[in-house]
Amino acid sequence: MSGLAAAQRRMHDALVYPAADPGASRALFADGGRLGAAAGLAVYQRGYFLRIAACMREQFPALCHALGRALFDDFVADYIRDCPPERHTLYDLGRRFDGWMATNRPDGAAPEPWVDFMIDLARFEYAVFVMFDAEGHEGRPFATPDTADARLRLQPAFALGRYGFPVAAYYHAVRRGEAPSPPEPAPSHVALVRTDYVTRTVPLGETHHAFLTAMQAGLGVDAALAEVSAHFGLDPDEARRSWRAPEGSRTRWIEWGFFVAADL
Amino acid sequence: MAAADDALTALPRLGLGLGLRSVHFEAILAGADPGLWPDLWFEAISENFMDSGGRPRATIRAVAERHPVVLHGVSLSIGSTDPLDFGYLAALKRLADEVRPAWVSDHLCWTGVNGRNSHDLLPMLLTAESLAHVAQRVRQVQDYLERPLILENPSSYVRFASSTLEEPDFLRALAEETGCGLLLDVNNVFVTCFNAGADPVAYLDAFPCERVVQMHLAGHQDLGTHLIDTHDRPVRPEVWELFRIAWARTGGAATLLEWDDQIPDFEGCLAELAKARRYMAGDTAPIVAETDEAGDEGISNPLGFIVPRAMDGVFEDAA
Repeated sequence: MSGLAAAQRRMHDALVYPAADPGASRALFADGGRLGAAAGLAVYQRGYFLRIAACMREQFPALCHALGRALFDDFVADYIRDCPPERHTLYDLGRRFDGWMATNRPDGAAPEPWVDFMIDLARFEYAVFVMFDAEGHEGRPFATPDTADARLRLQPAFALGRYGFPVAAYYHAVRRGEAPSPPEPAPSHVALVRTDYVTRTVPLGETHHAFLTAMQAGLGVDAALAEVSAHFGLDPDEARRSWRAPEGSRTRWIEWGFFVAADL
Repeated sequence: MAAADDALTALPRLGLGLGLRSVHFEAILAGADPGLWPDLWFEAISENFMDSGGRPRATIRAVAERHPVVLHGVSLSIGSTDPLDFGYLAALKRLADEVRPAWVSDHLCWTGVNGRNSHDLLPMLLTAESLAHVAQRVRQVQDYLERPLILENPSSYVRFASSTLEEPDFLRALAEETGCGLLLDVNNVFVTCFNAGADPVAYLDAFPCERVVQMHLAGHQDLGTHLIDTHDRPVRPEVWELFRIAWARTGGAATLLEWDDQIPDFEGCLAELAKARRYMAGDTAPIVAETDEAGDEGISNPLGFIVPRAMDGVFEDAA
């Protein structure tokens, strides 16, 4: 290994695992100047954590609210020790956070609901964050009420989520400046859709979630309706009438920009 | 190298500019203060826009239609011993093709190693081995981007014990070998030299000012024993004085104010930038320092502003 590579590896390890190599500063750095080697390295060690913690708080504001800043920062410190950032973009920082929380539960062998809620909330918030900057359909035409069902396709800035807690309601309460308590467990299904660079969170019923999941998988409207009807034991004709009712999901979802019109 | 030198010489003298920050998007696109600043230009953090399919990408396109723009990166990691990230370079090139920046810059630093990223601008070991390593990578980047790379002197808090070159000498040799241009961050000169117990004017004396395409101004935090490059307050009088010297020696390189934390409104930033005009005119009267509460130690190279507040753009709908 070259001198340059060895120096970089040791300095980087000293940032990520500050306690593991107490001799790093003396070995690497000149001890002159106003700061000295140890205090100089400490500026980088401190900045490494604080910079990432600040970015994580921007990505997970509701989770930070739920945990409180001190506990949130403690989770972040453990998270980046186990999962140091890999990509050039800070947007990627939170990608593995919910998975890391799931495998490093603080409740250990006796699962507690609040931990499940935190994991769900982390997953939801990262999905919202991804949607903010995802490839979208702005500047191009969306489907209209006149678009035939056969041409309806989900737009690119669209995502679905299934959670064990009402995470979207909690998120919006934090966003409104309220101080919500962690909710009781309850299944929730949510669509995220972005138009004009604004993301909407749309609560869904289980059948609607299943229908949109089928469309995400590539089925057209008729096939998705048939699949959902069969799965939930619904009358296919009733399902189609509900879909096309004047105030039905077709009308609202087209209004909210769920769909584009595919060329056939 | 003559062709590379010609490419540098052909770069425009942009005058005064401001770091493009999301808190100012609305004011900039509303055309705020066009009378006083008809030639204002903006420096965009490349990573804030290059992977974006959302509002940031649309915004930089709109800004670039109205103002000159340059792209300034924080993650090229030109000094790392990891392989160059050509996925990163491809995204950077796509963005550059789209917004047609006056130039593309980054830092003489490394941000990570072994596939990991510290998201900090880490100091280089300054040796002949490092110089050869960085020079080879600069050539690769310039060939790929089909434009000269502009590299900035970072602020630093340590000096590798085995370094054998001074930073200005390293940058001079790098620029001569590769044809790259330089971004002289005057605040970084002051912070680095203060922390090292060195003379910032001597640093400027040794710096290849003839290769400087752009300069940076920013505020720093004075903790008494040392300085932190926080970009969160007005430019200090000592840095303005260095700027006066550097402005003359660079022949009037494009000058940009960075403000990355505790960011004032657009007018506030323009007012700070306007102070530069005095020094560009050769005024030697010192600016009186504003009251500067040191407070808790800040973060060097704050990057929190890069992560957008996605929550601000979310609405709830009833099903």
